[in-house]
Amino acid sequence: MSEKPKIICVTGGKGGTGKTLVAVNIAIMFKNSGYKTLLIDGDSENPNTYLLMNGQLTRNSEVLFFKPKIIEEKCTKCGLCAQNCAPHALLHVDDSIPIPILTVCSGCRLCYKICPSDAIEPDFKVIGWTYTSKAYGVDLFIGELKPGEARSAAIIETLMENLEDIINNNPNKYDVIILDTAPGAHCDVELLIGNADIVIPVTEPTKFGKLDLLRIIDLIKLLEKDYRAIVNRSSLLGFKDQFMKELKDIGIHILGDIPLDKDIVNSYCQGIPIMDKTSQFDRMGEGYQAFLKIFENLKEWIHQKN
Amino acid sequence: MVIIAVPSSGSGGLNEIVSARFGRCASFTFITVENNEIKEVKSMPNPASDVMGGAGIHAAQVIANNNADGLIVGFLGPNAAQSLSALNIKIYQAPDKQLTVKEAMDLYLKGNLQTISSANVGAHYGMGRGRGRGGGMGRRSNF
Repeated sequence: MSEKPKIICVTGGKGGTGKTLVAVNIAIMFKNSGYKTLLIDGDSENPNTYLLMNGQLTRNSEVLFFKPKIIEEKCTKCGLCAQNCAPHALLHVDDSIPIPILTVCSGCRLCYKICPSDAIEPDFKVIGWTYTSKAYGVDLFIGELKPGEARSAAIIETLMENLEDIINNNPNKYDVIILDTAPGAHCDVELLIGNADIVIPVTEPTKFGKLDLLRIIDLIKLLEKDYRAIVNRSSLLGFKDQFMKELKDIGIHILGDIPLDKDIVNSYCQGIPIMDKTSQFDRMGEGYQAFLKIFENLKEWIHQKN
Repeated sequence: MVIIAVPSSGSGGLNEIVSARFGRCASFTFITVENNEIKEVKSMPNPASDVMGGAGIHAAQVIANNNADGLIVGFLGPNAAQSLSALNIKIYQAPDKQLTVKEAMDLYLKGNLQTISSANVGAHYGMGRGRGRGGGMGRRSNF
Protein backbone atom coordinates (compact mmCIF):
# COMPACT_ATOMS: atom_id res chain seq x y z
CA MET A 1 0.00 0.00 0.00
CA SER A 2 1.15 3.55 -0.70
CA GLU A 3 1.55 6.12 2.09
CA LYS A 4 -1.72 7.86 1.46
CA PRO A 5 -4.68 5.64 2.35
CA LYS A 6 -6.42 3.91 -0.53
CA ILE A 7 -10.05 5.08 -0.77
CA ILE A 8 -12.54 2.54 -2.14
CA CYS A 9 -16.15 3.57 -2.79
CA VAL A 10 -18.83 0.85 -2.71
CA THR A 11 -21.96 2.02 -4.52
CA GLY A 12 -24.45 0.57 -6.97
CA GLY A 13 -27.36 2.66 -8.14
CA LYS A 14 -30.10 0.25 -7.11
CA GLY A 15 -31.21 -0.11 -3.49
CA GLY A 16 -30.95 -3.44 -1.71
CA THR A 17 -28.26 -4.93 -3.94
CA GLY A 18 -25.85 -5.55 -1.06
CA LYS A 19 -23.69 -2.44 -1.05
CA THR A 20 -23.39 -2.40 2.74
CA LEU A 21 -22.81 -6.17 2.89
CA VAL A 22 -19.92 -5.81 0.42
CA ALA A 23 -18.52 -2.66 2.07
CA VAL A 24 -18.52 -4.26 5.54
CA ASN A 25 -16.94 -7.52 4.43
CA ILE A 26 -14.28 -5.85 2.28
CA ALA A 27 -13.41 -3.69 5.30
CA ILE A 28 -13.21 -6.82 7.47
CA MET A 29 -10.97 -8.60 4.95
CA PHE A 30 -8.56 -5.65 4.83
CA LYS A 31 -8.51 -5.62 8.63
CA ASN A 32 -7.86 -9.39 8.65
CA SER A 33 -4.86 -8.76 6.40
CA GLY A 34 -3.42 -6.28 8.90
CA TYR A 35 -4.49 -3.03 7.30
CA LYS A 36 -5.75 -0.16 9.43
CA THR A 37 -9.26 0.27 8.06
CA LEU A 38 -11.92 2.98 8.29
CA LEU A 39 -15.46 2.42 7.03
CA ILE A 40 -17.53 5.53 6.31
CA ASP A 41 -21.31 5.15 6.00
CA GLY A 42 -22.48 7.82 3.54
CA ASP A 43 -26.10 6.66 3.32
CA SER A 44 -27.29 9.48 5.55
CA GLU A 45 -30.99 8.58 5.33
CA ASN A 46 -30.39 4.94 6.28
CA PRO A 47 -27.15 4.88 8.27
CA ASN A 48 -27.20 1.18 9.12
CA THR A 49 -23.70 -0.12 8.39
CA TYR A 50 -23.02 -0.53 12.10
CA LEU A 51 -25.98 -2.91 12.40
CA LEU A 52 -24.24 -5.43 10.14
CA MET A 53 -21.34 -5.32 12.60
CA ASN A 54 -23.32 -5.29 15.85
CA GLY A 55 -21.76 -1.88 16.59
CA GLN A 56 -22.83 0.72 19.12
CA LEU A 57 -22.89 4.35 18.05
CA THR A 58 -21.31 7.27 19.88
CA ARG A 59 -22.59 10.73 18.96
CA ASN A 60 -19.66 12.65 17.50
CA SER A 61 -21.06 16.05 16.50
CA GLU A 62 -24.02 17.95 15.16
CA VAL A 63 -24.13 18.95 11.50
CA LEU A 64 -25.16 22.59 11.28
CA PHE A 65 -26.76 24.37 8.34
CA PHE A 66 -26.83 28.13 7.76
CA LYS A 67 -30.06 30.05 8.16
CA PRO A 68 -30.48 33.83 7.99
CA LYS A 69 -31.27 35.71 11.19
CA ILE A 70 -32.73 39.15 10.58
CA ILE A 71 -31.71 41.84 13.07
CA GLU A 72 -34.85 43.95 12.95
CA GLU A 73 -33.28 47.07 14.50
CA LYS A 74 -30.66 47.19 11.74
CA CYS A 75 -32.93 46.29 8.79
CA THR A 76 -33.73 49.23 6.48
CA LYS A 77 -36.43 47.15 4.70
CA CYS A 78 -34.68 47.76 1.37
CA GLY A 79 -35.50 44.28 0.04
CA LEU A 80 -32.08 43.69 -1.58
CA CYS A 81 -31.78 40.29 0.12
CA ALA A 82 -35.17 39.10 -1.17
CA GLN A 83 -34.54 40.40 -4.70
CA ASN A 84 -31.34 38.38 -4.91
CA CYS A 85 -32.45 35.19 -3.17
CA ALA A 86 -32.55 32.60 -5.97
CA PRO A 87 -34.93 30.12 -4.29
CA HIS A 88 -37.11 33.02 -3.03
CA ALA A 89 -36.56 32.04 0.58
CA LEU A 90 -36.95 35.62 1.77
CA LEU A 91 -40.41 37.08 1.62
CA HIS A 92 -40.27 40.86 1.36
CA VAL A 93 -43.26 43.15 1.15
CA ASP A 94 -42.64 46.89 0.62
CA ASP A 95 -41.80 48.75 3.84
CA SER A 96 -41.60 45.63 5.97
CA ILE A 97 -38.93 43.36 7.37
CA PRO A 98 -38.21 40.28 5.21
CA ILE A 99 -39.58 36.95 6.44
CA PRO A 100 -37.31 33.89 5.92
CA ILE A 101 -39.05 30.80 4.48
CA LEU A 102 -36.51 28.28 5.73
CA THR A 103 -37.96 25.25 3.95
CA VAL A 104 -36.65 26.53 0.63
CA CYS A 105 -33.43 28.21 1.88
CA SER A 106 -30.39 26.63 0.19
CA GLY A 107 -28.00 27.95 2.85
CA CYS A 108 -25.92 29.90 0.30
CA ARG A 109 -25.37 32.90 2.65
CA LEU A 110 -25.78 35.43 -0.19
CA CYS A 111 -28.29 37.45 1.88
CA TYR A 112 -25.80 37.64 4.75
CA LYS A 113 -23.02 38.75 2.41
CA ILE A 114 -24.94 41.43 0.49
CA CYS A 115 -27.01 43.09 3.22
CA PRO A 116 -25.84 46.74 3.08
CA SER A 117 -26.76 47.38 6.71
CA ASP A 118 -25.41 44.13 8.24
CA ALA A 119 -28.92 43.26 9.35
CA ILE A 120 -28.52 39.57 8.51
CA GLU A 121 -26.44 37.39 10.79
CA PRO A 122 -25.60 33.74 10.28
CA ASP A 123 -27.66 31.45 12.43
CA PHE A 124 -27.64 27.68 12.30
CA LYS A 125 -30.02 24.77 12.54
CA VAL A 126 -29.11 21.15 13.26
CA ILE A 127 -29.81 19.03 10.15
CA GLY A 128 -28.07 15.86 11.25
CA TRP A 129 -25.33 14.19 13.22
CA THR A 130 -22.12 12.26 12.80
CA TYR A 131 -21.23 9.20 14.85
CA THR A 132 -18.12 7.16 15.46
CA SER A 133 -17.89 3.52 16.40
CA LYS A 134 -15.52 0.59 16.25
CA ALA A 135 -16.55 -2.99 15.52
CA TYR A 136 -14.57 -6.11 14.58
CA GLY A 137 -11.39 -4.03 14.55
CA VAL A 138 -12.72 -1.59 11.93
CA ASP A 139 -13.27 2.11 12.72
CA LEU A 140 -16.67 3.42 11.67
CA PHE A 141 -17.66 6.98 10.83
CA ILE A 142 -21.33 7.57 10.12
CA GLY A 143 -23.49 10.49 8.97
CA GLU A 144 -27.20 10.76 9.69
CA LEU A 145 -29.68 13.23 8.21
CA LYS A 146 -32.35 14.45 10.63
CA PRO A 147 -35.69 13.04 9.42
CA GLY A 148 -37.63 15.72 7.57
CA GLU A 149 -34.52 17.64 6.49
CA ALA A 150 -33.72 17.78 2.78
CA ARG A 151 -30.07 18.77 2.46
CA SER A 152 -28.42 15.37 2.77
CA ALA A 153 -25.42 16.48 0.70
CA ALA A 154 -24.42 18.75 3.61
CA ILE A 155 -24.05 15.61 5.78
CA ILE A 156 -21.81 13.96 3.17
CA GLU A 157 -19.77 17.16 2.83
CA THR A 158 -19.21 17.10 6.60
CA LEU A 159 -18.06 13.46 6.43
CA MET A 160 -15.68 14.26 3.58
CA GLU A 161 -14.28 17.36 5.33
CA ASN A 162 -13.57 15.20 8.38
CA LEU A 163 -11.94 12.59 6.15
CA GLU A 164 -9.73 15.25 4.58
CA ASP A 165 -8.67 16.42 8.05
CA ILE A 166 -7.80 12.85 9.06
CA ILE A 167 -5.72 12.31 5.91
CA ASN A 168 -3.96 15.69 6.17
CA ASN A 169 -3.25 15.57 9.90
CA ASN A 170 -2.47 11.91 10.23
CA PRO A 171 -1.82 10.28 6.86
CA ASN A 172 -0.73 7.00 8.47
CA LYS A 173 -3.78 6.57 10.66
CA TYR A 174 -5.46 4.39 8.03
CA ASP A 175 -4.24 2.23 5.16
CA VAL A 176 -7.67 1.67 3.62
CA ILE A 177 -10.85 3.74 3.71
CA ILE A 178 -14.10 2.24 2.46
CA LEU A 179 -16.97 4.59 1.54
CA ASP A 180 -20.46 3.05 1.54
CA THR A 181 -23.00 5.12 -0.43
CA ALA A 182 -26.76 5.50 -0.60
CA PRO A 183 -28.58 4.00 -3.58
CA GLY A 184 -29.06 6.25 -6.59
CA ALA A 185 -26.84 8.44 -8.74
CA HIS A 186 -27.48 11.76 -6.99
CA CYS A 187 -25.21 14.38 -5.46
CA ASP A 188 -24.56 12.47 -2.18
CA VAL A 189 -23.29 9.50 -4.19
CA GLU A 190 -21.38 11.79 -6.53
CA LEU A 191 -19.55 13.43 -3.61
CA LEU A 192 -18.42 10.05 -2.28
CA ILE A 193 -17.36 8.65 -5.67
CA GLY A 194 -15.52 11.91 -6.34
CA ASN A 195 -13.43 11.37 -3.20
CA ALA A 196 -12.52 7.76 -4.03
CA ASP A 197 -9.53 6.23 -5.82
CA ILE A 198 -11.51 3.28 -7.13
CA VAL A 199 -15.21 2.41 -7.24
CA ILE A 200 -17.07 -0.88 -6.77
CA PRO A 201 -20.70 -0.77 -7.95
CA VAL A 202 -22.75 -3.68 -6.58
CA THR A 203 -25.63 -4.95 -8.69
CA GLU A 204 -27.96 -7.95 -8.98
CA PRO A 205 -29.01 -10.03 -11.99
CA THR A 206 -32.33 -8.30 -12.71
CA LYS A 207 -33.46 -5.70 -15.24
CA PHE A 208 -33.63 -3.17 -12.38
CA GLY A 209 -30.10 -4.03 -11.34
CA LYS A 210 -28.76 -3.66 -14.86
CA LEU A 211 -30.46 -0.32 -15.54
CA ASP A 212 -29.26 1.20 -12.27
CA LEU A 213 -25.76 -0.22 -12.81
CA LEU A 214 -25.58 1.48 -16.21
CA ARG A 215 -26.70 4.75 -14.61
CA ILE A 216 -24.11 4.60 -11.84
CA ILE A 217 -21.38 3.68 -14.34
CA ASP A 218 -22.28 6.79 -16.34
CA LEU A 219 -21.73 8.83 -13.18
CA ILE A 220 -18.45 7.01 -12.39
CA LYS A 221 -17.19 7.71 -15.92
CA LEU A 222 -18.25 11.35 -15.65
CA LEU A 223 -16.08 11.61 -12.53
CA GLU A 224 -13.23 9.85 -14.40
CA LYS A 225 -12.89 7.04 -11.88
CA ASP A 226 -11.90 3.42 -12.44
CA TYR A 227 -14.54 0.85 -11.48
CA ARG A 228 -15.19 -2.89 -11.32
CA ALA A 229 -18.66 -4.25 -10.61
CA ILE A 230 -19.80 -7.01 -8.26
CA VAL A 231 -22.89 -9.06 -9.14
CA ASN A 232 -24.56 -10.05 -5.87
CA ARG A 233 -27.13 -12.89 -5.60
CA SER A 234 -25.66 -14.02 -8.91
CA SER A 235 -27.32 -17.45 -8.75
CA LEU A 236 -30.79 -15.90 -8.52
CA LEU A 237 -33.19 -17.95 -10.71
CA GLY A 238 -30.36 -19.26 -12.88
CA PHE A 239 -29.84 -16.11 -14.92
CA LYS A 240 -26.20 -15.76 -13.92
CA ASP A 241 -24.51 -16.78 -17.18
CA GLN A 242 -26.87 -14.73 -19.31
CA PHE A 243 -26.53 -11.66 -17.06
CA MET A 244 -22.74 -11.86 -16.83
CA LYS A 245 -22.59 -12.20 -20.62
CA GLU A 246 -24.86 -9.17 -21.08
CA LEU A 247 -22.57 -7.08 -18.89
CA LYS A 248 -19.48 -8.37 -20.65
CA ASP A 249 -20.98 -7.67 -24.09
CA ILE A 250 -21.44 -3.99 -23.23
CA GLY A 251 -17.90 -3.77 -21.88
CA ILE A 252 -18.60 -3.63 -18.12
CA HIS A 253 -15.62 -4.57 -15.96
CA ILE A 254 -16.42 -7.24 -13.36
CA LEU A 255 -14.63 -7.75 -10.06
CA GLY A 256 -16.57 -10.88 -9.12
CA ASP A 257 -19.92 -12.31 -8.14
CA ILE A 258 -21.55 -13.50 -4.93
CA PRO A 259 -24.06 -16.37 -5.15
CA LEU A 260 -27.14 -16.77 -2.96
CA ASP A 261 -25.77 -18.33 0.20
CA LYS A 262 -27.31 -19.42 3.50
CA ASP A 263 -24.28 -18.30 5.53
CA ILE A 264 -24.46 -14.80 4.08
CA VAL A 265 -28.14 -14.55 5.03
CA ASN A 266 -27.31 -15.85 8.52
CA SER A 267 -24.46 -13.40 8.96
CA TYR A 268 -26.67 -10.55 7.75
CA CYS A 269 -29.47 -11.39 10.17
CA GLN A 270 -27.13 -11.87 13.12
CA GLY A 271 -25.00 -8.79 12.46
CA ILE A 272 -21.83 -10.91 12.33
CA PRO A 273 -19.76 -10.21 9.20
CA ILE A 274 -19.28 -13.52 7.37
CA MET A 275 -15.62 -12.71 6.71
CA ASP A 276 -14.73 -12.10 10.36
CA LYS A 277 -12.01 -14.48 11.55
CA THR A 278 -13.90 -15.47 14.66
CA SER A 279 -17.20 -16.17 12.90
CA GLN A 280 -18.51 -19.75 12.82
CA PHE A 281 -19.40 -19.78 9.13
CA ASP A 282 -18.25 -22.49 6.73
CA ARG A 283 -14.85 -21.52 5.34
CA MET A 284 -15.53 -23.65 2.27
CA GLY A 285 -19.05 -22.24 1.74
CA GLU A 286 -19.87 -20.60 -1.60
CA GLY A 287 -20.46 -17.17 -0.07
CA TYR A 288 -17.25 -17.21 1.96
CA GLN A 289 -15.21 -18.38 -1.03
CA ALA A 290 -16.82 -15.77 -3.29
CA PHE A 291 -15.75 -12.98 -0.93
CA LEU A 292 -12.20 -14.39 -0.74
CA LYS A 293 -11.99 -14.42 -4.53
CA ILE A 294 -13.34 -10.85 -4.76
CA PHE A 295 -10.71 -9.75 -2.23
CA GLU A 296 -7.92 -11.39 -4.25
CA ASN A 297 -9.16 -9.68 -7.43
CA LEU A 298 -9.44 -6.37 -5.58
CA LYS A 299 -5.86 -6.56 -4.24
CA GLU A 300 -4.63 -7.48 -7.72
CA TRP A 301 -6.51 -4.50 -9.21
CA ILE A 302 -5.08 -2.08 -6.62
CA HIS A 303 -1.60 -3.53 -7.20
CA GLN A 304 -1.95 -2.96 -10.97
CA LYS A 305 -2.96 0.66 -10.39
CA ASN A 306 0.02 1.46 -8.16
CA MET B 1 -62.82 48.07 1.67
CA VAL B 2 -60.94 44.89 0.85
CA ILE B 3 -58.83 43.85 -2.12
CA ILE B 4 -59.20 40.28 -3.38
CA ALA B 5 -56.55 38.74 -5.62
CA VAL B 6 -57.52 36.09 -8.15
CA PRO B 7 -54.95 34.12 -10.18
CA SER B 8 -56.22 34.40 -13.76
CA SER B 9 -55.51 33.29 -17.30
CA GLY B 10 -54.47 35.53 -20.18
CA SER B 11 -53.91 39.13 -19.19
CA GLY B 12 -56.50 38.98 -16.39
CA GLY B 13 -59.80 40.78 -15.82
CA LEU B 14 -63.32 39.79 -14.77
CA ASN B 15 -64.02 37.81 -17.95
CA GLU B 16 -60.89 35.65 -17.83
CA ILE B 17 -60.88 32.14 -16.40
CA VAL B 18 -59.66 31.62 -12.82
CA SER B 19 -56.29 29.84 -12.93
CA ALA B 20 -56.14 26.71 -10.82
CA ARG B 21 -52.50 27.44 -10.08
CA PHE B 22 -51.30 30.20 -7.79
CA GLY B 23 -47.52 30.68 -8.11
CA ARG B 24 -47.35 30.06 -11.83
CA CYS B 25 -50.63 31.54 -13.09
CA ALA B 26 -50.43 33.88 -16.10
CA SER B 27 -51.83 36.97 -14.40
CA PHE B 28 -53.38 38.33 -11.23
CA THR B 29 -56.68 40.19 -11.17
CA PHE B 30 -57.15 42.47 -8.16
CA ILE B 31 -60.74 43.35 -7.28
CA THR B 32 -61.49 46.14 -4.83
CA VAL B 33 -64.71 45.42 -2.92
CA GLU B 34 -66.62 48.10 -1.04
CA ASN B 35 -70.06 47.65 0.55
CA ASN B 36 -70.13 44.15 -0.94
CA GLU B 37 -69.85 45.52 -4.45
CA ILE B 38 -67.07 45.44 -6.99
CA LYS B 39 -65.59 48.92 -7.01
CA GLU B 40 -62.45 48.57 -9.10
CA VAL B 41 -60.69 45.89 -11.17
CA LYS B 42 -56.96 45.89 -11.92
CA SER B 43 -54.84 43.18 -13.48
CA MET B 44 -51.18 42.51 -14.04
CA PRO B 45 -48.99 39.73 -15.48
CA ASN B 46 -47.64 37.41 -12.78
CA PRO B 47 -43.90 38.12 -12.48
CA ALA B 48 -43.45 34.83 -10.59
CA SER B 49 -44.80 32.66 -13.40
CA ASP B 50 -41.40 31.78 -14.81
CA VAL B 51 -39.02 32.04 -11.85
CA MET B 52 -36.73 29.06 -11.28
CA GLY B 53 -37.95 28.23 -7.80
CA GLY B 54 -40.08 29.63 -5.01
CA ALA B 55 -42.85 30.81 -7.34
CA GLY B 56 -45.48 30.47 -4.60
CA ILE B 57 -43.44 32.61 -2.20
CA HIS B 58 -42.72 35.18 -4.89
CA ALA B 59 -46.39 35.32 -5.94
CA ALA B 60 -47.46 35.83 -2.31
CA GLN B 61 -45.04 38.76 -2.15
CA VAL B 62 -46.50 40.20 -5.37
CA ILE B 63 -50.10 40.11 -4.17
CA ALA B 64 -49.07 41.54 -0.77
CA ASN B 65 -47.31 44.42 -2.51
CA ASN B 66 -50.60 45.05 -4.31
CA ASN B 67 -52.31 45.30 -0.91
CA ALA B 68 -54.40 42.15 -1.30
CA ASP B 69 -56.36 41.15 1.81
CA GLY B 70 -57.64 37.88 0.38
CA LEU B 71 -56.92 35.35 -2.36
CA ILE B 72 -59.29 33.03 -4.22
CA VAL B 73 -57.38 29.96 -5.35
CA GLY B 74 -57.88 26.38 -6.55
CA PHE B 75 -54.64 24.69 -5.64
CA LEU B 76 -52.21 26.00 -3.06
CA GLY B 77 -48.77 24.57 -2.29
CA PRO B 78 -47.06 24.47 1.11
CA ASN B 79 -44.59 27.33 0.55
CA ALA B 80 -47.31 29.62 -0.78
CA ALA B 81 -49.61 28.73 2.14
CA GLN B 82 -46.83 29.43 4.64
CA SER B 83 -46.07 32.78 2.98
CA LEU B 84 -49.72 33.89 2.78
CA SER B 85 -50.22 32.99 6.39
CA ALA B 86 -47.11 35.00 7.40
CA LEU B 87 -48.56 37.94 5.47
CA ASN B 88 -52.05 37.56 7.03
CA ILE B 89 -53.72 37.13 3.65
CA LYS B 90 -57.02 35.21 3.81
CA ILE B 91 -57.30 32.25 1.46
CA TYR B 92 -60.63 31.31 -0.15
CA GLN B 93 -61.03 27.93 -1.82
CA ALA B 94 -62.24 28.22 -5.44
CA PRO B 95 -64.69 25.47 -6.44
CA ASP B 96 -63.29 22.57 -8.46
CA LYS B 97 -64.76 23.67 -11.80
CA GLN B 98 -64.02 26.19 -14.51
CA LEU B 99 -65.15 29.69 -13.56
CA THR B 100 -64.56 33.22 -14.78
CA VAL B 101 -63.10 35.71 -12.33
CA LYS B 102 -66.52 37.39 -12.29
CA GLU B 103 -68.29 34.12 -11.35
CA ALA B 104 -65.75 33.46 -8.60
CA MET B 105 -66.24 36.98 -7.25
CA ASP B 106 -70.04 36.51 -7.26
CA LEU B 107 -69.56 33.43 -5.07
CA TYR B 108 -67.26 35.41 -2.79
CA LEU B 109 -69.71 38.32 -2.49
CA LYS B 110 -72.52 35.91 -1.62
CA GLY B 111 -70.31 34.44 1.11
CA ASN B 112 -70.23 31.06 -0.64
CA LEU B 113 -66.47 30.50 -0.59
CA GLN B 114 -64.82 28.68 2.30
CA THR B 115 -61.57 29.88 3.80
CA ILE B 116 -58.67 27.43 4.00
CA SER B 117 -55.68 27.71 6.25
CA SER B 118 -53.16 25.31 4.79
CA ALA B 119 -51.82 23.85 1.57
CA ASN B 120 -54.11 21.51 -0.37
CA VAL B 121 -51.45 20.15 -2.75
CA GLY B 122 -47.76 19.27 -2.47
CA ALA B 123 -44.84 21.43 -3.56
CA HIS B 124 -44.34 21.92 -7.32
CA TYR B 125 -47.88 20.71 -8.05
CA GLY B 126 -48.60 23.48 -10.51
CA MET B 127 -45.37 23.16 -12.44
CA GLY B 128 -46.51 20.51 -14.89
CA ARG B 129 -44.19 19.91 -17.82
CA GLY B 130 -40.96 21.83 -18.18
CA ARG B 131 -39.61 22.16 -14.68
CA GLY B 132 -39.07 25.75 -13.64
CA ARG B 133 -40.46 27.16 -16.85
CA GLY B 134 -44.10 27.43 -15.93
CA GLY B 135 -44.98 25.98 -19.30
CA GLY B 136 -46.96 23.06 -17.91
CA MET B 137 -50.62 22.39 -17.62
CA GLY B 138 -51.17 21.56 -13.96
CA ARG B 139 -53.85 18.95 -13.39
CA ARG B 140 -56.71 20.88 -14.88
CA SER B 141 -56.68 22.87 -18.04
CA ASN B 142 -58.93 25.74 -17.08
CA PHE B 143 -56.58 28.64 -17.43
